[in-house]
Amino acid sequence: MQINDLESLAKKYRREIFEKFLETQQGHPGSIFSMMEIVVSLYHGGFLRFDKNKKEFLDKLLISKGHATSALYPILRDYGVISNTEWNKWGKNNSKLRIFGNTSIPGIDITSGSLGHCIGSGAGMAISYKNNNQDKKVYVVISEGELYEGSTWEALLFAKHRELNNLTVIIDINSLIILGNTTECVNLNPIKDKISGLGIETHEVDGHNIDNLVSALKTTDDSKNFSCILANTVKGKGASVMENKKNWHYWSPMTKEEIKKTREDLK
Amino acid sequence: MLQRDIFIDEITKKMSKDKKIYFLSADFGAASLDKLRAQFPKNFVHCGISEQAMLDIASGLALEKNKVFVYAMAPFLSLRAIEQAKCGPGLMNLPICMISVGIGLGYADAGPTHYANEDFSCFRSIVGTSIYTPSDNQTTKLIAKDMLQKPKFSYVRLDRDAQKDLNPKINNQDYKNGFKIFGKIEKNKIAILSHGKIFHDCLNAFKKNEKKYIFINLFRSKPFPQKLVKLVKNIKNFLVVDEQTPSGSLASCVYEGFRDYKFFPKIISKSLPERYFFENGGRTYLLNKFGLSQKEIYKASRNFR
Repeated sequence: MQINDLESLAKKYRREIFEKFLETQQGHPGSIFSMMEIVVSLYHGGFLRFDKNKKEFLDKLLISKGHATSALYPILRDYGVISNTEWNKWGKNNSKLRIFGNTSIPGIDITSGSLGHCIGSGAGMAISYKNNNQDKKVYVVISEGELYEGSTWEALLFAKHRELNNLTVIIDINSLIILGNTTECVNLNPIKDKISGLGIETHEVDGHNIDNLVSALKTTDDSKNFSCILANTVKGKGASVMENKKNWHYWSPMTKEEIKKTREDLK
Repeated sequence: MLQRDIFIDEITKKMSKDKKIYFLSADFGAASLDKLRAQFPKNFVHCGISEQAMLDIASGLALEKNKVFVYAMAPFLSLRAIEQAKCGPGLMNLPICMISVGIGLGYADAGPTHYANEDFSCFRSIVGTSIYTPSDNQTTKLIAKDMLQKPKFSYVRLDRDAQKDLNPKINNQDYKNGFKIFGKIEKNKIAILSHGKIFHDCLNAFKKNEKKYIFINLFRSKPFPQKLVKLVKNIKNFLVVDEQTPSGSLASCVYEGFRDYKFFPKIISKSLPERYFFENGGRTYLLNKFGLSQKEIYKASRNFR
């Protein structure tokens, strides 16, 4: 697919997620919109290899910021991993799909929601693939806020020590956590110096620029080192009502005008 | 021989035939572990002093259909990484065996940070755990073999020190049952129920007139063995002894286990008090000082009269 196609897909998925959240009145649109280009690049940019016959992905994607896992549902639906029926049932009783992903949902590789777990789990998978000479990769998307969790740093140290080059961690840096800007809550900056200070190969990109993302992902795929991509993003990207607004971490009630404006933004 | 060496030796034996077995340590050692590491370096994973990451790494390995053992000192493996245990093997039903060493006051020379007097209640509350507390090497060996054959989310509580053999030994049927009763079951006897090291203290406490009692070694406390209820339903009095603080200790487990089968005998709990222990003097000194001397255990049984 061309870069333009991926950009269109990111827009389409934002629209679809927005309509679902509007219908169900729940979800984490700010966090999902900030990482949409990241997951579109991984799935549609050829990084997560798909077995059409088995209808499953060879490589793994762990969304450590579990509140944003539902970003994957429309993508997995387009691949036929999640059925249209299931997609349409989302938000109704007995639906498999929910805000936070879990392994009972087709195509979701881990149960997440509690922050700070998935770099470690990804490292475990990566060790297993290496020991069994399996040509498989693990991608882990974490939120910037997960850098507050000690287990994140434990796992980063571990992955670096083992130089797990079949594991790539992508940090979605949208600068906002629930109570405000990270620089005001507990400052995490300079993130790049901290990650690269561990000796980890670090690439900083515009997290909404698919060209940049694809290029960085190719570099990490070819690297002999464990690597991290720091993706600078905007919380709520694409919807002006939500952009850079901390209260759009969760779903918030919208006026008719806001709904109209958001629909226009996401066209 | 130490329980940990018995357990790890069984894993090492099996590793030569099964490449899917992984042993993870948070910088906790054993003589047997040195052998395992030397023989199977690819399947030994040093996680650093990082119990939380160790559990997450274990979850990743288990998601790829590996049989995973994690190993650390009891207070840190249990309380430091309890949320990782919930979110990994708990929520995803992964076959991870947690080997927790130094339960109770096992690390008495180290002080309260190193005691594991709350681990039992904490892990009982995690959905899906199986909990084992062996009192001897034979039971330890049977648990290790079982976890290798039928891996499951389990929390195995080993003592720091070597434990005496039980006589008669735990056999395969006892293992399946999850408990062993020492002494003839008779209606008017008092049942002394315990597990781990403290079970030996119970045996010693009542040695002089042991015929008045039966002794139940409940080495598998979760899932609670249904068969035990059937066998002891005529017994009216149970003294439950545990090297844990009182909230959620073995007595709570026994009460709930019996209650589920509508069995309500009188249960007296003998455990450590609700406090932390800063006193020096070794494990026996602390047990004596805080109500778990053999004399105190014996005295507690007289409260049924």
